[in-house]
Amino acid sequence: MNSKYIRNFSIIAHIDHGKSTLADRMLEITNTVPKRAMKDRLLDDMELERERGITIKARSVTIHHDKDGQTYQLNLIDTPGHVDFSYEVEKSMQACEGAILLVDASQGVEAQTVANAILAMDAKLAVIPVLNKTDLAHSRPDEVCEEIENSLAIEATDAVRISAKTGENVEQVLDRIVDEVPAPSGNEDGPLRALIFDAVYDEYRGVIVHLRIVDGSLSKRDRVRMMSIGKVYETTEIGHFAPQMVPCESLHVGEVGYFISNIKALGDVRVGDTVTMHKGADVEALPGYREPQHMVFADFYPTNPGDYEVMRDALEALCLSDSSLTFEAVSSDALGFGYRCGFLGLLHMEIIEQRLEREYDLDLIQTAPSVTYEILTTNGEAKLIHSPGTLPNPDQYDELREPIARVSMLLPTEHIGPVLQISTDHRGTFVRQEHISPTRVQLVFDIPLAEIMYDFYDKLKSSTRGFGTLNYEVTGYRADNLVKLNILVASKEVDALSSIVHSSRADARGRAVLKKLRKEIPRHMFEVRLQAAVGSKILARESIAALRKDVTAKCYGGDISRKRKLLEKQKAGKRRMRQVGAVDIPQKAFLSVLGGDDK
Amino acid sequence: MPHPSVPAPGLAAPAPPEAPLPRAPAGTALYVHVPFCVVKCPYCDFFSVEAEGQDLSGTVAALLHEARARAPQAPKTVFIGGGTPSLLPEPLLVELFDGLDGLTGFRSSAVEVTAECNPESLDRDKARLLAQLGVTRLSVGVQSLNPDTLKFLGRAHEPEDALRALEAARGTDAAVGADMIYACPGQSVEDWEDELSRVLEFEPQHLSAYNLTIEEGTLFHVQRERGELMTAPEEVELACFERTREVAEAAGLGRYEISNYARPGHECQHNLTYWANGAYVGLGPGAVSKVGLARAGNPRSLAPYLRWVQNDEHATLWREQLDPLHRLGETWWLGLRRSAGVDPMEALLAAGLDGAVDDPAPGLAQELEQQGLLENVDGRWHLTDRGWPLADGVARKFLALGKQP
Repeated sequence: MNSKYIRNFSIIAHIDHGKSTLADRMLEITNTVPKRAMKDRLLDDMELERERGITIKARSVTIHHDKDGQTYQLNLIDTPGHVDFSYEVEKSMQACEGAILLVDASQGVEAQTVANAILAMDAKLAVIPVLNKTDLAHSRPDEVCEEIENSLAIEATDAVRISAKTGENVEQVLDRIVDEVPAPSGNEDGPLRALIFDAVYDEYRGVIVHLRIVDGSLSKRDRVRMMSIGKVYETTEIGHFAPQMVPCESLHVGEVGYFISNIKALGDVRVGDTVTMHKGADVEALPGYREPQHMVFADFYPTNPGDYEVMRDALEALCLSDSSLTFEAVSSDALGFGYRCGFLGLLHMEIIEQRLEREYDLDLIQTAPSVTYEILTTNGEAKLIHSPGTLPNPDQYDELREPIARVSMLLPTEHIGPVLQISTDHRGTFVRQEHISPTRVQLVFDIPLAEIMYDFYDKLKSSTRGFGTLNYEVTGYRADNLVKLNILVASKEVDALSSIVHSSRADARGRAVLKKLRKEIPRHMFEVRLQAAVGSKILARESIAALRKDVTAKCYGGDISRKRKLLEKQKAGKRRMRQVGAVDIPQKAFLSVLGGDDK
Repeated sequence: MPHPSVPAPGLAAPAPPEAPLPRAPAGTALYVHVPFCVVKCPYCDFFSVEAEGQDLSGTVAALLHEARARAPQAPKTVFIGGGTPSLLPEPLLVELFDGLDGLTGFRSSAVEVTAECNPESLDRDKARLLAQLGVTRLSVGVQSLNPDTLKFLGRAHEPEDALRALEAARGTDAAVGADMIYACPGQSVEDWEDELSRVLEFEPQHLSAYNLTIEEGTLFHVQRERGELMTAPEEVELACFERTREVAEAAGLGRYEISNYARPGHECQHNLTYWANGAYVGLGPGAVSKVGLARAGNPRSLAPYLRWVQNDEHATLWREQLDPLHRLGETWWLGLRRSAGVDPMEALLAAGLDGAVDDPAPGLAQELEQQGLLENVDGRWHLTDRGWPLADGVARKFLALGKQP
C-alpha cells in the first residue's frame, strides 16, 4: 500500500480507562475480526494480562478503515498503561506518528496518563484526545477536558466523546486518525531501514521479530542484517498482524509487521535495533532507544537447585521480548545460586516473577526488592552498590547516596492533607503543587526510591479512597544519613541479612528483623544470641533459649539402625539450613527477613 | 519338627531376601527374643504379640533351630529379652535354656545371663527356676508403682505384683534389675521421686529408668498425632532426668548410660557391648545381629520368621553395612551414651577403620567441648552434665560425619 494511506498510532491510557475495549471495538467496526470471533480484550493474549486486566506487552494489529472512498491501513500498536512500563510505551511510540490520548470522563486525568502523553509529545506524535465512558451518568467531560488542557497544554475542546463499550463515536476516532496522524514519511525506494520494536519467542519457529518499516521495503527471502550486532538472517516468513499473524509477500515503507527466520539465538534480536539489507547500501542506524533505568532489584532463586539452568533459559527468553529486564547470576550463602534481576518498577517485578512461575513452571524464592545505592569513595570515584553485603566499610567512602524519585501524584483536592503527611513521613521533600481543575490537584515530591518501594503506593491509595495515582521518575542520587544495618547471629555478621537504611529507621528495622529471626531459627543446644548493629553500636538484641532436652531414652542392639535413621531423618529436616558458626539458620528465616515487608 | 504355623517343607515359599551374616566368632554376645506378652503395651515398639493362642512351643523350637545355625559358641553374655520371656511355661523355659546350653555351652562361658521378666509372670518358683537354668540377672519390668500410671501404660500388673516380683527376684542368687518409666502425663517430679525411692528400697543392683518415649508405630503415637495424648512438659522431663540420677546415686547406683544405673560391678555387660558398637547375634523375630562391620535383622513378624527358620535355618530380612565414617559416627553416638565415654582410638577400631585414617571425630568433639556439651577426661570424651540431656543433638553431629558432600 502506498504509504500515503498508512497511519501508525498507539493508544495512551490509564489502567481501566478502556483502552483494550476501544481496541476491540475498532477491530469489530472495521471487520478486522468477525464479530462472532470477538472475545473481550483481544489483544491481551497473555494469560496474566487477562487475569489482571492490564496490558503488559505491546501488541500490534493492522486494520483497514474506509474514509471518503479511500481505504486506509491503520496500524495500532497497543501500549501498556502502567507506570512501570513507560519504557515499553516509548518503544511503541518510536514506531508511530500519532497517539490517542484516552481519558475516562469520570475518573479524569491520572498521573500515568500525563507521563505517557508527555512521552508522546516528546516523540513529536500527533495527540488526539478522546474521552471515554461518556455514557455513564457521573461522567464530567467538560471538567476532564479542562484537566487535559491544564495538565498537558493540549487543546481538548474538540476531544472525541465516545463510549468504547457501546461503540458510540468510535468511527469518529478512526476518521480523526486518518485526518490528523501524519502518513509515514520514509523513503519508499531507499535502502531498507526497519525498527525492531518487539520480539517474541516461539518454540518451533524461533524469534518472531516485530518491526516497523521506516525506509524501503522487506520481502520474503531477503537477507537482512541486524545492525547493532551484524548478524545476518534470511526471512522465511513475513506478515501483518490481523491481529493473528497473516503472512504476506512484502512489507513496505511505513508498514508494521513481523518476520521469522528461525532465529534461535535470543541475544541476536535486540529491541530498538535497526534491520537493513545484508548486501545493500550503507545506512545510518535509526536513533536507538534510551537505555531503560533499572531502579528495582530483587534476587530470584529456584527452590529446586536443579532448575538453575531452566531459569536462565527462561530469563533469556523473557529478556527477548522485554528488553527492560536485566539479570545476572548471583550466589548467596543463604539461598544458593540464583539471579539478580533489574526491573523498571515493582509491578514489573511482580509480573516477571509470575511469568517465570507460570510460563516456565518454576518454583521461585524471591528476595525483597532493593534499590541501587551509590558511594563516593575516598579517592573520589562514584561506585554503584547493588547489594548491601558489598558495601565497603564507612572509612572507604565519603558519601553514601540513594536514588531519589520525583513523584507526581494526582488526587482529589480533599485528600491533600493525608497525602502531604505520607510524603513527608517517607522522607519526601515538597517540590510543587498545582490545581489542574477545581477538584483535582497535582502534588510533586522528591522521595527516596527506597521509601516508595514497599507500601507508599498502597498508602496513597488508601488515603485517597483509591483516587490517587502516582508516577515517578528517578532523577538522581542524593547523599543522606544512610547506614548499613548488620545482623549478627551468635556474634557473627550475616551478610545476606544486612541492609542499608536511613539512620532514623535503623532501630525499628533492626528490632523487626530480630523478631522475625527469633521466630524462625530453631532452638539449639546453646543459647543463640541475635544482634542488630550499626558499626560497633548494638541497636537491638534478642536471644533464642537453648534447647534443654533432646535425648533418646532407649537404645539397644535391636534399635540401633532404626534409631540412627530416626536421628538422621531429623537431621535431614535441617538440610535447607545455612550454617553460621555453630548456628543453623533455616531458609525460611532468611525469607522472612528478605522476602517480606517489615514496616 | 512340624507345628501348625509352619507350612510343610517343599511348599513353594520365597526364601529370606538376604543371606545370613557369617557365623559369629566364639564369645560373641547372644540375644534371644521371646516375642510374647500377656498384653501389648501402647508405648512399646519392640516386636511382640499377645501370647494367647500362639504356638509358644513351636516358637521356642524355631529359636533353637535358628540357634543351631547362627548362635555363637561360648557366648560371653546372654540376654533373653522380649516380649516377656518370663511368661513361658516352665517346661518351655527348660527346653529353651537347656537347648541353648547344648548348642553353645553358655552356662560355662557366659559371665552374665539376663532374663527379662514381668511382674505378672514372675513368682518365687519362676524366679528360682530361671536362676537354676543359668540366669544371673533378673530384669523386672516394674515401670511404675502408681496404679493409675500402670493403667495408663497398659500394663498387665498392679503395684503389688511389682513389689512381689521384686521380692521374688531378690530371693535368688541372681542380681536384680528394675525397669521403670517416668514423665508420664500428669506425673510430677515428686511423684516420680517417690516411686523411684520405693523401688530402690528393694536394693536392686541395677536400675533402668526411661523417659516415656512416644515411638512411631505405637498406639501412643497414633493418639498423640490425633491430639489425644499430651506428653509431659520439657521442664518436668528434664527435672525427672536429673532427679533420677541424684536419687539413684544416693542409693549407691551410679549412672553408666543415659538411662541405666548400677552398683559397681553390676553394669549390664551385654548392653555395654551394644554401646561399644561391638558384635552380637540376635535370634528370634525382629532380632538384630551385628557381625564384623555389617548388621542384619529378622522380620518383625512371627509367621515369616517361623516359616523361614524352618526352611532355611535363618530369617535374614535386611542387611546394612555403613560407610567407614558413618560407622565412626555411629560408634561415637553409641559410645557417648555411656559414662565411660569414648576413646577416639577405640572408636576407630570399633568402627573397623584403619588407625591411620584422618580421624574427623576428635575435631568435632572439640567443637562440642566449646559449646559445653562434651569434656575430655584423661583422653576419653564424655557428655557434660549439660550435654547428657542433649545427647541426640550431639549424636546428629557425629552421624553427619559420614554424610559429607
